[in-house]
Amino acid sequence: MRRSFLFLLGLFLLTAQAALAQTKTVTGKITDVKDGAPIAGASIQVKDSKAGTTTANDGSFSITLPANATTLIIAAIGYEKQEVRISGNTVQVALKAGEARNIDEVIVVGYGTRVKRDVTSSISRVTSKDFQNLPLPSFEQALQGRASGVFINTGSGKLGQGLNIRVRGISSISANQQPFVVIDGVPVVSQSLGSSTEPDNPLATLNPDDIESVEVLKDASSAAIYGSRASNGVLLITTKGGKQGRSKLNVGYYTGWSEPTRKQKFLNATQYKELFTAAATNAGYVAEDEFRDNTGTEDWASTNNTNWADQAFQKGYVRQYNISLTGGDARTKFLLSGSFNDQKGIIIGNRLTRATGRLNIDHNINNRFKAGANLSLTQSNNYRVPSDNAFSNPLQLNALPPLHPLLDASGQSNNATLYYNNLIEQEGNNRNLNKTYRTISNLYAEWAIQPNLRFRTQVGIDWNNLQENQFLGRRTLDGAPEGYSYDNQVTASVLTTTNTLAWNNKYGDHSIDALGGIEYQRGISSGASVEGRAFASDKFTKIANAAIISNGSSSETQFRFMSYFTRANYKFKNKYLLGASFRVDGSSRFGKDKQYGVFPAASVGWILSEENFLRNSNFLSFLKLRSSYGRTGNAEIGNFSALSLYGSAAYANIAGLVTTQIGIPNLTWENTDQFDIGLDFSILKNRISFEVDYFSKNTKDLLLAVPVPATNGYTTVVKNIGDMTNKGFDFTMNATILRGTGFNWTTSFNISTYKNEVTRLVAPVPPGGRTVGRLAVGAPFGQFFGRKYMGVDPANGDALYLAANGTTTNDYSAAIDTEIGDPNPDFYGGWNNKFSYKGFDLDVQCQFVKGGDLFNIAGIFQSVNGDYFDNQTTDQLNYWKKPGDVTNIPQPRLYDGNGAGKSSRWVQDGSYFRIKSLNFGYNFPVKWLKKAKIESARLYVAGQNLATFTKYKGYDPEVNATYVSNVNLGHDFYTPPQARTITIGVNLGF
Amino acid sequence: MKRIILIGIIAFTTGLGACKKALEVDPQQNIKAEDAIKNEQDVKALVIGCYSIMGGGALYGTNLLMLPDLQASEGYCSWRGTFQSYRQVANKSLIRDNTEANRTWTAAYRAINNANLVLTNLDKVTDVDNRKLYEGEALFVRGVLLFELTRLYGGGFDPLTANAQLGAVIKNTPTTDEAGAFAAIPRSTVAQNYTQVIADLTTAVTKLPDENGTRVNRFTALAFLSRVYLQKSDFINARNAANTIIGSGYYGLNPVPTAVFTNKNTKESIWEIQQNDQNNAGNSNDGMATFYASLPGIGRADVRMSTAFINAFYEPTDARYDGWYYVGTGARPGNTYCSKWNAFEQNLPIVRIAEMYLIRAECNRRLGTNLGDTPENDLDVVRSRSRASFIAAPTLTDILNERRRELAFEGIRIHDIKRLKSATGSFPWNDNKLVLPIPQREIDATSGVLVQNPGY
Repeated sequence: MRRSFLFLLGLFLLTAQAALAQTKTVTGKITDVKDGAPIAGASIQVKDSKAGTTTANDGSFSITLPANATTLIIAAIGYEKQEVRISGNTVQVALKAGEARNIDEVIVVGYGTRVKRDVTSSISRVTSKDFQNLPLPSFEQALQGRASGVFINTGSGKLGQGLNIRVRGISSISANQQPFVVIDGVPVVSQSLGSSTEPDNPLATLNPDDIESVEVLKDASSAAIYGSRASNGVLLITTKGGKQGRSKLNVGYYTGWSEPTRKQKFLNATQYKELFTAAATNAGYVAEDEFRDNTGTEDWASTNNTNWADQAFQKGYVRQYNISLTGGDARTKFLLSGSFNDQKGIIIGNRLTRATGRLNIDHNINNRFKAGANLSLTQSNNYRVPSDNAFSNPLQLNALPPLHPLLDASGQSNNATLYYNNLIEQEGNNRNLNKTYRTISNLYAEWAIQPNLRFRTQVGIDWNNLQENQFLGRRTLDGAPEGYSYDNQVTASVLTTTNTLAWNNKYGDHSIDALGGIEYQRGISSGASVEGRAFASDKFTKIANAAIISNGSSSETQFRFMSYFTRANYKFKNKYLLGASFRVDGSSRFGKDKQYGVFPAASVGWILSEENFLRNSNFLSFLKLRSSYGRTGNAEIGNFSALSLYGSAAYANIAGLVTTQIGIPNLTWENTDQFDIGLDFSILKNRISFEVDYFSKNTKDLLLAVPVPATNGYTTVVKNIGDMTNKGFDFTMNATILRGTGFNWTTSFNISTYKNEVTRLVAPVPPGGRTVGRLAVGAPFGQFFGRKYMGVDPANGDALYLAANGTTTNDYSAAIDTEIGDPNPDFYGGWNNKFSYKGFDLDVQCQFVKGGDLFNIAGIFQSVNGDYFDNQTTDQLNYWKKPGDVTNIPQPRLYDGNGAGKSSRWVQDGSYFRIKSLNFGYNFPVKWLKKAKIESARLYVAGQNLATFTKYKGYDPEVNATYVSNVNLGHDFYTPPQARTITIGVNLGF
Repeated sequence: MKRIILIGIIAFTTGLGACKKALEVDPQQNIKAEDAIKNEQDVKALVIGCYSIMGGGALYGTNLLMLPDLQASEGYCSWRGTFQSYRQVANKSLIRDNTEANRTWTAAYRAINNANLVLTNLDKVTDVDNRKLYEGEALFVRGVLLFELTRLYGGGFDPLTANAQLGAVIKNTPTTDEAGAFAAIPRSTVAQNYTQVIADLTTAVTKLPDENGTRVNRFTALAFLSRVYLQKSDFINARNAANTIIGSGYYGLNPVPTAVFTNKNTKESIWEIQQNDQNNAGNSNDGMATFYASLPGIGRADVRMSTAFINAFYEPTDARYDGWYYVGTGARPGNTYCSKWNAFEQNLPIVRIAEMYLIRAECNRRLGTNLGDTPENDLDVVRSRSRASFIAAPTLTDILNERRRELAFEGIRIHDIKRLKSATGSFPWNDNKLVLPIPQREIDATSGVLVQNPGY
């Protein structure tokens, strides 16, 4: 690589030199300031000129330059750039090692910060540089493919929708599986509040541009300080702060367009008639009669050819305006920012707008007292798409026969269709709007009791108000016959007070820091809803106008945590590292007999590169071996799971009392013990750095709803009874491939694995109705289990299934259930490349998943050789026609269920490689800008999900239908694909 | 000074933690079990809870009324909807984990557990009459649900055998703790089921008053007893119970056959599940009107009636011909639907006096008696109300056909087929596929203590 670089550079210089006129010659030598070693390949460039050369192996160079040249720029990979005035004919320069040593980064850890060099745990970090200016629906997507050990499945292309984040595998079954989220020290609500069967994403209210960095605490030693809530990993989000110096105003704008990453192909009218004529004939029916019978229309004979599937989509757009002002002096630093983001989704009716404001301020009262605040306010409007499983889900339009006309005779959306034509919901006042008002704010004060002893107190609040407002007019499925309106308000607030005392000291070769703290947290969530029906006309949408108040409810739930924690780090001779932490968590959620949990962790590190035998290595710049072990918990077990409860149930106008659950007094958090061993090393003067980790997580006491005989009046009892393991590797490589005055290229690659295995259950949890995910001992979480489709009998066109003893059968009920897939990926990761040349920069982020089977539930309806009148995918045309045909599509037989039973027929490999994002920008030269009094200006084109390479035949391989239970990973059910978005934007700094 | 401040900080932080109540939070939407049942009002609420569960779609809200007709779909009705679970019932292609078989079983035992809780908490009821009332209602709930379970999940009762085939599980004690929740109780025989059902209902008859508002009374228990005896082909007891109800004078047929369905709590009803706008079995994915109706904005039109059946069984002048059947105008329009179930908020008649007349007529005919009245007159009470022609000296077939006409789509049909040892299509009365599977989850949860039915 270096050779080709030199070649290119040489070529470049040759052409440059041809243009020179009056010249002089300068010679010299470039060395390393540390040891005087010569630096080969360093570039020597004449300032404000194209002239330049590179050093030879002994560090020497000779350059011919214009007589009027005054300054040389010396640069070499891994070293700081230096400018030298030319005086005389020789130049001797000693370069200092470069600034690109990421081991010096300061990273955020629980209740503090730490230099990366000294960290003995496993933490992934993504900073604003990685994701600024990308049209992200929510910030978590920035982690996808960038943070090793973090598997993200966006789930669908619906805006503002919940998405799956799994840190190092899956660590729970029935409790929450999402990481714990802490923003500027405030634990926040990251679970859905809404009433929809599909979760919304409360974190979509955050403005990604306000975020400075996201740290993912992956191993026990980093996460255990968060005790009973850290089993799924912890996301520490730090917002941007002010900087000392001249006030800077930054203004940004981008706008763009989006479309589905992929559309599926369904039968056109001719093909539809062909397939269903065959299906009806084979089953002894007349297609036209059956079509009339099922749809109540005469459309079979029509000439319509409607592409219903495409009606679900629209051209989306995105635009964002943001402005920020930063600045400060020695005593006060501040950041003031505001943004407005407007995204129109690719699915009809889907839109998300978000307005945010933020003030971050830090003030030194004197040299001992400091106080500050992070205040934010967000308002977002989300016009939501119905649940995948609703007839009103626009994607379900693809089930409609192409023979139906789009519009009826009066020009309205046609409502005489096989299934509900949900385009009706796009008319008039129909809407499903979620409005969110949210603040995540904190106030803190710090007191340096002594220079090395600091007390900090912080009060944080996360206040989140969600208002759902739905109206469906009389022509809609759920709004008929006279209109339907629903209002719901939920307010969730979490108040956290944290007091910590931090101390650090150095005695000769020993350095110690220690932290102790106490935290109290109170969460309350309450809501009220009302539903009205019967409106005078669809012009009325408010419940004030409803004749019938058909439903109403109010609710409230609470939880509390009381925690004590301590941590100590010890460093000897700058190379031996030791860390330990300890947390005690008590919670109102835990059963009376087990209300307090203990979560210890310990870690060790050894910086081998500081040892004499490695210190002078030219090849190895840094080497650290580290290991940790500790325990974390998962307290997301529901607020009252430990109690035996009665609830109420209405019988017409009277309320009755019914049992709801049998509780167990020792019900408590889930425990995860995690071992981690890792290696951080960098070579070639930190030009290439690696991080490798192996982890092994043992989760015990998993909360399981143990099935009990329903004859006792209950179907389940929740107990801490399951075990599960996750093992795997995280690997990250960062490399500066080219660095110099001209072309820069850095690359970052990461790959991670996890192998999940359920090791203890009470009883296997079999797949539900249409789903195939199951839980069984020895199998990974969500393993696909069911009938194995064995193709088509060439003799008669019957669908075949695997039967006992390896034989096949055409009798679905005689087939056996077996393993038919694994939704967990074999490995996943990302590959990022950043290029820059002069004012241009290019950032290409790719992301990939290998393995991870998908089950397309919709196949039971749309890829089932014309079993019912749902429109079919085009591949169904290749059906069995006559004896001897070898095909995978059984003979079509209307209503007969030939091949229609749930089976591996719809299981597919979900591997994919995706060009996730691309950002190409140009920074205008400063000298141009000075005239316009602009400090910086950048113009860019960015894209999201530009290309996806996959064998999956459905809409999008990154799919996770959320209306099914969480065991059913990788299920697709008319789930919308993600958007491909192209934006252009500009950032100006003043 | 520094020391004082330090002490202050420590005192402050530990002071926060010392607050004992910091972790005490009671649920707001539920009551802890230890606080739930303390007095008479609480026991009454438990009784109402039983009705609430029975009114759900898993029991009388849908399945107990709809499944017996779907099971006998041949030449009678067809399932046109997308719910595979019901399609399997109609096509007799049930699988072990059929959703309907599962939820009906589960809900029935949940209601039985609530009833058993009533029975063990009767000591908290101070009023003597109320104590008797709640006891009677709880026994009624337990008795009728066990009857429904044994009819659906047990092999058909055959008076010529000992009925040692497996029926449902008999559960007569409430579950209050973890151990109870895990107990695995084997199935009893059909004969044992019937003994228990008759014992519960007979006691209920002695405890329940003649009038009890819209909740069950003595005659409701008697009406179910009459059904139980009829299912056993114990015609004497079936006739006697029906005769007692008719003779009470509390009940009578409405002038028109539609009135009992379009109005609430008419004199024709012996018992109705109460529903209203807010509280009903469902309006989109569950509920009788949801599955049966085809009206603008109401119903999925999933159960379609066979016009052959209607034309064969009803004279065009019969008020039931037009009154109970119509051409759909909502979902899947243009086909024939049954208007008995047309509104989400309608009450659901579970037992009507017309059925008692028909039972008395049938039993009197079979026994050659005229207890109460002649079969001819009893039959005519039902027929003349609908302006159907008079049948002089009706045969048994006439009476059985009248049952098909009058009680169509009210959850009777498959039970009649079974007791008459007849058939539906090619499925004889004792075909394995006419018995619902024991939910697979039950067999798993009891490690096989519960035995699956043959054929699954």
